[in-house]
Amino acid sequence: MPLLEINNLVTAFHTPAGRVPAVDGVSLSIERGKTLGLVGESGCGKSVTAMSILRLVASPGVIESGEILLAREGGSVDLTQLPEPELRKVRGGRIGMIFQEPMTSLNPVFTIGDQIAEAVLLHRAVPRAAARARALEMLKLVRLADPEQRLDEYPHQLSGGMRQRVMIAMALACEPDLVIADEPTTALDVTIQAQILELLSDLRRRLQTSLLLITHDLGVVAETCDEVAVMYAGRIVERAPAAELFANPQHPYTIGLLAARPATGVRHEGPLRTIPGMVPLPQNFPAGCRFHPRCAYARLPHCAGDVPPLRDIRPQHQARCHYAGELGPATGEKGDAAHFPHFSNAGNELRPLFPEGGS
Amino acid sequence: MTTQPLLVVENLQTHFPVRRGLLRRVSGSVQAVDGVSFSIAKRRTLGLVGESGCGKTTVGRSILRLVEPTGGDVRFAGASVRGMNARDLRALRRRMQIVFQDPYGSLNPRMTVRGILEEGLVIHRMGDARDRLARMRRALDRTGLTAATLERYPHEFSGGQRQRIAIARALVLEPEFLVLDEPISALDVSIQAQVVNLLVELREELGLTYLFISHDLSVVEYVSDDVAVMYLGRLVERADAAALYRAPLHPYTLALFSAVPTIDPARRRRRIVLTGDVPSPSRPPRGCRFHPRCPLAESVCREVDPPATTLDGHLVHCHVAARELERSAGDVRAAAASIAEAMAAASAKPASDAAAASGTLKA
Repeated sequence: MPLLEINNLVTAFHTPAGRVPAVDGVSLSIERGKTLGLVGESGCGKSVTAMSILRLVASPGVIESGEILLAREGGSVDLTQLPEPELRKVRGGRIGMIFQEPMTSLNPVFTIGDQIAEAVLLHRAVPRAAARARALEMLKLVRLADPEQRLDEYPHQLSGGMRQRVMIAMALACEPDLVIADEPTTALDVTIQAQILELLSDLRRRLQTSLLLITHDLGVVAETCDEVAVMYAGRIVERAPAAELFANPQHPYTIGLLAARPATGVRHEGPLRTIPGMVPLPQNFPAGCRFHPRCAYARLPHCAGDVPPLRDIRPQHQARCHYAGELGPATGEKGDAAHFPHFSNAGNELRPLFPEGGS
Repeated sequence: MTTQPLLVVENLQTHFPVRRGLLRRVSGSVQAVDGVSFSIAKRRTLGLVGESGCGKTTVGRSILRLVEPTGGDVRFAGASVRGMNARDLRALRRRMQIVFQDPYGSLNPRMTVRGILEEGLVIHRMGDARDRLARMRRALDRTGLTAATLERYPHEFSGGQRQRIAIARALVLEPEFLVLDEPISALDVSIQAQVVNLLVELREELGLTYLFISHDLSVVEYVSDDVAVMYLGRLVERADAAALYRAPLHPYTLALFSAVPTIDPARRRRRIVLTGDVPSPSRPPRGCRFHPRCPLAESVCREVDPPATTLDGHLVHCHVAARELERSAGDVRAAAASIAEAMAAASAKPASDAAAASGTLKA
């Protein structure tokens, strides 16, 4: 049984301009000790999904339907139905959270030590001194330099990478079963990102914590995640084990995303392949397949009329596309295969650039 | 090279004063840029990479004198930019334009696109009303926007479209040289490739010269002819793009490249995780500025600022690299390989001081 299972989650914002379904029927599951990468561009609903898990979606956002099942001894509990006081024990207790911007998510007027200790005191009946000792232990765990001294410092005295380590220490202080990390390294430089990702993987392995990693960076997913779910316009469009997804992407959106990034160490000829158009806003998601206006493979009127189901294309690999698995060369006015550099379009044959297997 | 470089940056230095106390006395300085030199030939693109705080943005702004350099010089088409009076500088700025990172912050929300594009033309007294309109239409057309854009406001556009407007604003003055300061980092992945293609297309069509500032190493490699790497206010390495990515010599460049996550397992480099953070540019370390984080640092690195070593146009500031180049009798690839080897060995040490802490955690 998975640690966390989300079924048909719908979270919408009720604005004066109407109902905006930011998350529209998302289903996910995370196994114990595994990392799930949730990938997508701005406005795709990945952060709202994460916030929905802890019921932290701000008004006018409402979880309208679906269930979020967290496993516990002898069964599971639906977080969408849990009374608020119970839920507070889950937040920071069984589920820890790491946000993108460590400066705004740490309180500037309390010391690092006090903030971590507070998290411990909220969830464990321990004396203050023990909570402080725990805070120190956590700072050592996340390999912050001079932990004894840092305990009494304020967030502004730390660098961005150090603050993110403090956030991780805080999220892990109560030994959660699941950590949700929302773009944990986006605000950081690459060399610091490498440190933080290595730390997260290492801690996850050692503590057997599950990790939901939300990011827009496919490279980060490829190097840290076991499973990947790709979101587009409020829906999951593709789901597979990481190695499988990158070796055999099935949804045209995923194929396009992979193709749009120039690879290093390769001589490129001609322009980069692009996904035409722009990311739709939730207030005007297209009908049918939400990617169809940008899709080089779209066949009208089918793709504009019917919502494709998320279906099995290959073993353990699902995609939400009417034609996944039989895409062949791209046609139609959105252009030829020129939009998709992931595939070499020498001759008429589409050939994946990355070899099968991917390891 | 027979052609005169369009832009020459010579020992550029931009320090910002740090003021303290009641009397706001200058107590020190942030050495944002401290002795940077490079040149860019006409129609070429120099990529400038480095992490936040390394001074790459300040280099771009110092070239246009949007911030005043405190030392060294910038020469554009032979004329010294630092010595220019206000009038000459204004004339020069028509020829050198800049595109900023944030397309939300860099366009005035109260002005229509017409107002935004026309402002520069009016300031530089270019054409009459009809001529200006024609120029604006041409600039919009070049950036893939329609003339209908003119009467609309920035908030009506997406991030990618706004960046096109910012590029049109630069182009309308028909410049020769553009500073592109992180022009795609604020955009979604699927939009980035569109803007990169546009920039490359414009360069070819209009014969533009670019300084492309970015922390995105794969995009820099794709766009640039030459690439310079900065660390803490200094250039640490500069070479032809293909040569630099194939055979990086500076330990920092190596670590930087290895830190970039990649989706293609075949191209994954051996990860070199640097320890520690970038030191403050107000108190840079003595000797080589990278030595406190460098796995290969020796005693000389802690004392002596490494001079430039140049071989086949590949420039590096590093004692270890200089010695390796000498040992390999000028074979850059062999030298790069042995430095990479040493880096991998040095950073493969077990980093499990945290193991003890985690032992108590689950107990």
